[in-house]
Amino acid sequence: MRRTLAFFGQIIRRTSILALALSGIVTLCTGTGRAVVADDTIKIGVVLPTTGSESKPGAYQKEGIELAIKQINDAGGIMVKSKGKKLKIEEVFYDDGTDSKKSASLVERAMSSDNAVAVLGGYSTALGTAESVMADRYKTPWLTTGAGATAIFSKGYQYAFGSLSPVALIGTTSAEFLGSLVDQGKLKKGLKVAIVVENTDHGTDYVNGFNDWNGKHKGYFDVVLNEKFELGATDFSGILQRVKSAHADIFLSDAHLPDYITMQRQYLQNGLHHQMISYGARGPEANARQALGAGTDYIFAGIWWSNKLPYPQAKKFAADYKAFTGHDVDSWYAAPAYDGMRILAKAIETAGSLDKDKIRDALKKVELTDSVLPGQKLKFSANGQAEYPFVITQNKPDNKVDIVYPKDAATGEAVAPIPNK
Amino acid sequence: MSAVEYLDLLLKALLLAGVYAAMAVGMTVVYGVMKIVNLAHAGFLMLGAYFALEMFNRFHIDPVLGSVIALPVFFLFGMLVHWVLVRWLPKSDTPTLASLLLMFGFWLVLQNLAYARWGNEDQSILTPLTLSAVHIGDTISIPKVNLVVFAAAVFCMVVLQIVFHRSWFGRSMRALIQNPYASQIVGVDDERTARLTFGLGTAFAGFAGALLGMLYSFSPDFGRPFLLRSFVIIVLGGLESVSGVALGAIVLAILETFSTVIPLPWYWHGWQFYYLPPSYQPVVPFALLVVVLVIMPKGLAGLFNRKWKTA
Repeated sequence: MRRTLAFFGQIIRRTSILALALSGIVTLCTGTGRAVVADDTIKIGVVLPTTGSESKPGAYQKEGIELAIKQINDAGGIMVKSKGKKLKIEEVFYDDGTDSKKSASLVERAMSSDNAVAVLGGYSTALGTAESVMADRYKTPWLTTGAGATAIFSKGYQYAFGSLSPVALIGTTSAEFLGSLVDQGKLKKGLKVAIVVENTDHGTDYVNGFNDWNGKHKGYFDVVLNEKFELGATDFSGILQRVKSAHADIFLSDAHLPDYITMQRQYLQNGLHHQMISYGARGPEANARQALGAGTDYIFAGIWWSNKLPYPQAKKFAADYKAFTGHDVDSWYAAPAYDGMRILAKAIETAGSLDKDKIRDALKKVELTDSVLPGQKLKFSANGQAEYPFVITQNKPDNKVDIVYPKDAATGEAVAPIPNK
Repeated sequence: MSAVEYLDLLLKALLLAGVYAAMAVGMTVVYGVMKIVNLAHAGFLMLGAYFALEMFNRFHIDPVLGSVIALPVFFLFGMLVHWVLVRWLPKSDTPTLASLLLMFGFWLVLQNLAYARWGNEDQSILTPLTLSAVHIGDTISIPKVNLVVFAAAVFCMVVLQIVFHRSWFGRSMRALIQNPYASQIVGVDDERTARLTFGLGTAFAGFAGALLGMLYSFSPDFGRPFLLRSFVIIVLGGLESVSGVALGAIVLAILETFSTVIPLPWYWHGWQFYYLPPSYQPVVPFALLVVVLVIMPKGLAGLFNRKWKTA
């Protein structure tokens, strides 16, 4: 027995690296999957985080893309004129684990080794920025469904496209919304604003958008604090103390989901209260409401899509999504991914070929006229980024969410100022 | 900022230090006795948070009680991990590559098993304490959950100190930390002590993870940002000293909290004051690690010991 144990010990001692290899295998098994190669298919690469800190939005985006693929394939596929027939889409999916270096290398792999005709993905801005350099290098259309920072699209890339409206518009629309509340007499003019955003291009764009509107509308708001924090921070007590000391009337932040939950939790624990509060594009997520309960009530968010949008195609998408995934579409993440895949399919059909340059040229011109996104039309501007309006939602008690801006899409009245409990 | 606001921040920093100390102490005892840098500590922290969540969701057990229950459960789990994996590692006076790889690999296995079991969603434990605070005047507000977590952490640290100084096991551990060869000569069973120590380290990681789960949302990736802090704290505390860990935790928590709120003087056409941008806050633990390793490699405890000896 003792000899057997000693022998076993020798093996483990010499091959402790085995554990590392085993973990790698487990990671591969749980994290990635590759479709089987087939001849008569259109290979589309999809690179998103389904593990790591951005796994939740990444999984939603994957579901949106896969719903679109299923619907297209169920209808026979995409008509490719050069092949003289309809071809089904073959998805090549990779999980980047919310790691920007891995994300870029997986896009490279999809474009080179897998020879995908186009690649979708890139949630969030940080990962999208890392991925974006591959598009022109491999002359393969790349369409990000989750990165909205303008920095990606200001570099003159010819093969990069994005189905998210620019993040700067969230800041602008948020300012417009607050301005409309001032015009309605719900808020006073000249209120002090404290802005605390994540230290990314996303955060920078948000601030630029807000300041752009505020600069053109003198006297509405006075920005008394403008700071940035690092993604994934665990302690916001210092920065929240400075927010408190700034004696601001409105608190605006731009944060990803985990930071939004952590910061709002500490905000409430510190007994802070402002007339209006926002976390940029975050607010109505079910996870945040589960984590903080009534602590998320009255937070407003500028988002790319809402299941409250009154368009028939948006309602159909919500119903199809539920049937496909088994759960409600409770956040905006899936919709731009769904339409991103659909506009790519339309571009391939318009190109009539699987030639990557022709698909790129088609993407520059094509327009999705039954888009589920606000404005109901999706097309790309000259820099490759889509531009459509945002909607402002506000959380209400009992887990209700209303669109409160713009007026023509509103499902409820904005509550302003937020009642102090 | 007023003096009262700084006092408010100081209280919050001290509360944070309590959790940091509980989080790092498990790593310290394992390193001290076995010279293993336990990278799987982050995985045990994560499992501790999920343990408290399961206790809360399935049996409606308050997470504070859940964290106390985690102590014996993770103690046994740690001993099992030691028996199955760790005991086969070659014995050494310094950390070995084999031990680093084994513990890193085991952390990844734990992480991926957690993905398989709980998925990738952020989880939170919402209790009536979560969002409430004790308010003193208009300025000072102390989150109740932080107070409870601090009290639990300090209580367990005190118990650990008593075990360390008053029990056979504690004396064996201290003997192994001081001189493993001499302690074996005088009859300390190093294998048994190492097994119990690894169990104790894991128990504290599970306990701290359960407490952290009350303060933050968590996913299977939880633990990663706390691993670096644990490193800094134990290096600052002198690698093998439990009281040094408490000191290191206080220093780190105060520096992190105050780094962005202390105005820094800067001369440019006259004296001006700037704040360190909050986005630079993560630099603080890294910078501290480098400074400590260069200036006082034996940590704060080593510095004090030297002074006492000189005196």
